[in-house]
Amino acid sequence: MTPSRRHFLMGAAALSAAVATPEMVRAAIAQDVALDWSLASADLEADIAPRAMRLIHGRAPAGLEGTLFRNGPGKFRRPGGSATHWFDGDGLMRSFDIRDGQVTLAARFADTPKRRHETALDAVVTPGFGTVGDSRARLGSSDDGNAANTAVMVAGDKIWALWEGGSPTQMDAATLATEQFVTLRQDLRGMPFQAHPRHAPDGTIWNIGTNGDQMIVWHMAVDGSLIEASVVALPRASYMHDFTATDRHLVIVLQPWVFDHGGMPFSSQFAWKPELGTQVLVLDKSDLTQTRLYELPTFSFFHLGDGWAEADGTIRFDVAAGKDVAFAIDGAKVIVQGRGSTPGEPAQLAMVTLRPDGRAEMARTGITAEFPKGDPRRAGLKRDLTVHVAGERGARPLPTGLAVQDWSTGRSRTFEFGDNQVVEEMVFVPKAGTTAERDAWLVGPSINLKTGVTELHVFDVARVEDGPVASWAADVALPAGFHGAWRG
Amino acid sequence: MTRIALLAAAALMISVPAVAQAGPVPTGSVAGDNADTAALTLTFDVGATTGRIMVALFDSAEAYGGGGAPVGQTVVDVASGQRTAAFAGLKPGAYAARIFHDVDGDGQMDTNPFGMPTEPYAFTNNARGNMGPASWERANVVVSGTTVQTISLR
Repeated sequence: MTPSRRHFLMGAAALSAAVATPEMVRAAIAQDVALDWSLASADLEADIAPRAMRLIHGRAPAGLEGTLFRNGPGKFRRPGGSATHWFDGDGLMRSFDIRDGQVTLAARFADTPKRRHETALDAVVTPGFGTVGDSRARLGSSDDGNAANTAVMVAGDKIWALWEGGSPTQMDAATLATEQFVTLRQDLRGMPFQAHPRHAPDGTIWNIGTNGDQMIVWHMAVDGSLIEASVVALPRASYMHDFTATDRHLVIVLQPWVFDHGGMPFSSQFAWKPELGTQVLVLDKSDLTQTRLYELPTFSFFHLGDGWAEADGTIRFDVAAGKDVAFAIDGAKVIVQGRGSTPGEPAQLAMVTLRPDGRAEMARTGITAEFPKGDPRRAGLKRDLTVHVAGERGARPLPTGLAVQDWSTGRSRTFEFGDNQVVEEMVFVPKAGTTAERDAWLVGPSINLKTGVTELHVFDVARVEDGPVASWAADVALPAGFHGAWRG
Repeated sequence: MTRIALLAAAALMISVPAVAQAGPVPTGSVAGDNADTAALTLTFDVGATTGRIMVALFDSAEAYGGGGAPVGQTVVDVASGQRTAAFAGLKPGAYAARIFHDVDGDGQMDTNPFGMPTEPYAFTNNARGNMGPASWERANVVVSGTTVQTISLR
């Protein structure tokens, strides 16, 4: 029995003489059980061979054909030592393949040097973002510590598992078999490639990688081949997990979580200095030496939405903004523990505006939000809608719902699954033959804590509040993933 | 400052000019008398078929760590098809080698803009370091008779 349930039962016993009926106790216990969200970070012991998911609600939308690839940590614990931070589990690539109204699920671990070494030792020994590791680590290069666990990019007929400290890991899109680390150019071997590449209206892809106050800017064709790479200096050595872009600019958000001292784990190198404020560096894509620096009040962040520039030069982008780095340091360890409350406050959705006269402002919505996503047809261009997961709170870590924010009206439409579901990032899939933002599906999984299996849901952007138009259930629970990409 | 502390390329470096002066012979030259009977043969599994492999062999932790000269060094001409470095006439005992593949043949261990090596390097036992070169403890191999290892340079 967990301490929390024992605590409840003792409290219930004390009250029971007067008010507690057996029905109430059962309901409260059921709620307490529902609050067991530990499946979100449970270990998966082996790859998941392709298997059909079962339609449990609604019907498959006509014309929705494609594959949702998703990445995220799938194994944390080994007898000789474990990953203690959510960001340090072994990368598990999943595919949800939707064809002819049927969904096929498969999942396969990235076959990295780190996983091979730790499998041989049956111990997690490699230092990571928040995991200390030990002296048995084999770290001859950044990619020896590459967990390939954060996000996925479709690159031609391959997929790349992304991890921000090193190279992309190329996988076969059909079998999810690991092939090799991607070297985009020999002299750039091992350079960091972050987990959130941005697609531009011209069809090219931009990404960054950082090292202290230096940043590499990657510019690629849609097949993942390199167009150009440059190294630029940053005004501060800030930790960042994401950047954004307009059609003309790269937008680099520099939170006041800055390099302080060497050492491992990686996150221990940074000090939170709220007095410094948050800066935004804007670089001209056509000439990276043309920059402008904006100042904002302090916020922390992991994820940004796509940005856009308006005719007068105003730049806007949305952000899941936090107050501090409590989740990054401690909250993500609670996730691996699988019980307890996360400290601090969940991130909230906000819109940042950078004015041509150099002023910058941030409008907060007060809505709990993570994983902001927009219409891919409008990446880098003006848009009204942001989809995001919602409902997270300290006592019930990880999202419970999904919402769409309409920036033109300020209205938020939400569907709340409730505490029985851990809701994962949903990607925006345009409906064939349409152009409007609302003419799109949202596709993403959840973990149903009551039935103990992973589900896949499709929502209609125009009617998110009505709930999924179709849901399928797997016969297995996969731990919560981070980020996905759709290949139509 | 990167995810792992920067691997100082210099710390991995083999004295390239010294190796180059040793000449193109693929067989390591080791000082010793006829009573020495041990030999170490390293065969390389390469990811590129250009350039040359530099090998420096040490017989003590101190020398391996930079505090002394190698007891043997050689250049393996990958471009002309060589894949093996043989050190004969060794005194039986513990040895460790630092190895790198100068793929472009410029005599340098190339690094990326953030200072990480971009050309393959290795140590005996295929040992990997822990945020630096492999330690003597991981890399040393006890040589007696003829000892053979295949070293991955990919």
